[in-house]
Amino acid sequence: MDFTPREMMIVAAAREIKDGEKLLTGAYWPILPSILAKRTHAPNAIFVFEGGMICNWAPARIPLIAHDPTNLSCAVMCGDLLDALGMVVHGGWADVGFLSASSVDKYGNVNTTCVGDYLNPKVRLPGSGGASDIASGAKRVIIILEQSRDRFPEKVDFITTPVFLQGSDSREKAGLRPSGPNVVVTNLGVFRFEEDSKEMYLDSYHPGVSVDEIKANVGWELKISPQVKETRPPTALELKVLREEVDPQGMYLRDVRLQGFI
Amino acid sequence: MANKVMSMEEAIERFVRDGDTVFLGGLVSGEPYAAVHEIIRQRKRNLAVSKGAGVLILDMLIGAGCVRRAITSYIWNPVYKPAHAFRRAVQEGIPHPIELEEYSFLTLSLAFFAGALDLPFVATRSLLGTDILAKSPLLAERVKVIDSPFTEKPVALIGPIKHDVGIIHVQRVDEEGNAQAWGPLASDKWGIHSCSKVIITAEEIVPSDVIRKDPQRTIVPGFRVDAVVEEPWSSYPDYMPGYYDRDWKYFPVYYEATKTEEGFNRYLEEWVHGVKSRKEYLAKIGQAKLNELKAEPWQGSPVSYGRYTTF
Repeated sequence: MDFTPREMMIVAAAREIKDGEKLLTGAYWPILPSILAKRTHAPNAIFVFEGGMICNWAPARIPLIAHDPTNLSCAVMCGDLLDALGMVVHGGWADVGFLSASSVDKYGNVNTTCVGDYLNPKVRLPGSGGASDIASGAKRVIIILEQSRDRFPEKVDFITTPVFLQGSDSREKAGLRPSGPNVVVTNLGVFRFEEDSKEMYLDSYHPGVSVDEIKANVGWELKISPQVKETRPPTALELKVLREEVDPQGMYLRDVRLQGFI
Repeated sequence: MANKVMSMEEAIERFVRDGDTVFLGGLVSGEPYAAVHEIIRQRKRNLAVSKGAGVLILDMLIGAGCVRRAITSYIWNPVYKPAHAFRRAVQEGIPHPIELEEYSFLTLSLAFFAGALDLPFVATRSLLGTDILAKSPLLAERVKVIDSPFTEKPVALIGPIKHDVGIIHVQRVDEEGNAQAWGPLASDKWGIHSCSKVIITAEEIVPSDVIRKDPQRTIVPGFRVDAVVEEPWSSYPDYMPGYYDRDWKYFPVYYEATKTEEGFNRYLEEWVHGVKSRKEYLAKIGQAKLNELKAEPWQGSPVSYGRYTTF
């Protein structure tokens, strides 16, 4: 069965969602696995979008952004940001905060603000949006990104989105509620976090990817689980649903959304 | 009773002054592009522009040289592409350096809420432990971390933001300014409520009777409103729930056109300074494009609040 690393990443991320969970879905990559999960093993999942939409149906066309108009016809509630990020997330009802990342570090912190110094940056990135609020309030987070060494620094240049901060109990000491079990899913493997140290470790490598290749794409000495295993490949059903129902135009799967458009 | 209904040109001319702190609504839906183009056309300067997620509009205002300070949580060109003018301003100081009062989306919305209710501050756990707080001297003035007097655990206190003037684009409004909006309201409601002067732009002006038949939809009561502007397609190239879809093809074109400072200025000359109004802009876009984007209607059942007229 043939599948791309990107498809493996999306399927692996979708599997992290349990049926009935309430997901705060952030922009771009989280959208695909959320819809795939809803159309396969998690039909009762509920999507909450930070602008205020609470949706219990899969959308008619693939949302190209979190605040895509197609989500309007799946919404049971159209509130505002204080409903979504205030009540649902910080009120403690968001089972999952589903986030993308420009870079992620050893303790799961995400940077979407800048490369280099904040006051004099080498490269300015978009900023937090609701991502920071989601990570500080959701019960757990799933972070999804395409992996390369410079996107996995030991310490991000800027903590936009707080996960385990400096590790150990630094999150609780900062005043945030506990979060977890957290996971990072890439096109190379699946990473989880140690209970005490809160340090990231490799839990599974995708089919066709070696542990060495993964280590070469991480900016620190990556811990490997003693039970590290191969990620279960996508099933025929998962691929069929992903390719034919979730993203038939290849907007994400084949980057059509980025190519001067449809 | 003063007549509040006026043209976009008059509303911006009268109510947006150089140096003002201006709130702009919208989050991909209800984006007030028409008002923003008019602000640029009138060459307003030194504005502190406040927008929950700045996205493209803030990029455009920054590139046009209107902005002294950006108050926001996010500036980007959706789908997945950087905002060039914003990057040039922050990385190179072009056209001039800007102050960045940068929050997370929730904490900025809470600051609007505090401004609207005239609260001394609002407490939250969001921003604790982040560099959004630790690395921004400007934000350190606006957000204070203390140990809660109730729990003795750290909390972040968000100071209020109040605006001189605010602009939101809604579906419908009556001549008194009672403004009705539907869709994801993001930070529009509390943002606009924290403004001294309010400009409502709308797809259509409707009789007050229409407003009174579904008052739940009203997000700003008329007595708060100073200017009412009927300007259809104000949110183009973004969407307006019930009216039109997003023009997905616009955004990569803006991305390419604004890669350089010269390109950005040429873009403004053609599409903003080169037209006198939104109507002229739409004529340049062309009816064929607009017809493509018109939303398919999808209506539910009207609601009844009941009439209670006799004993």
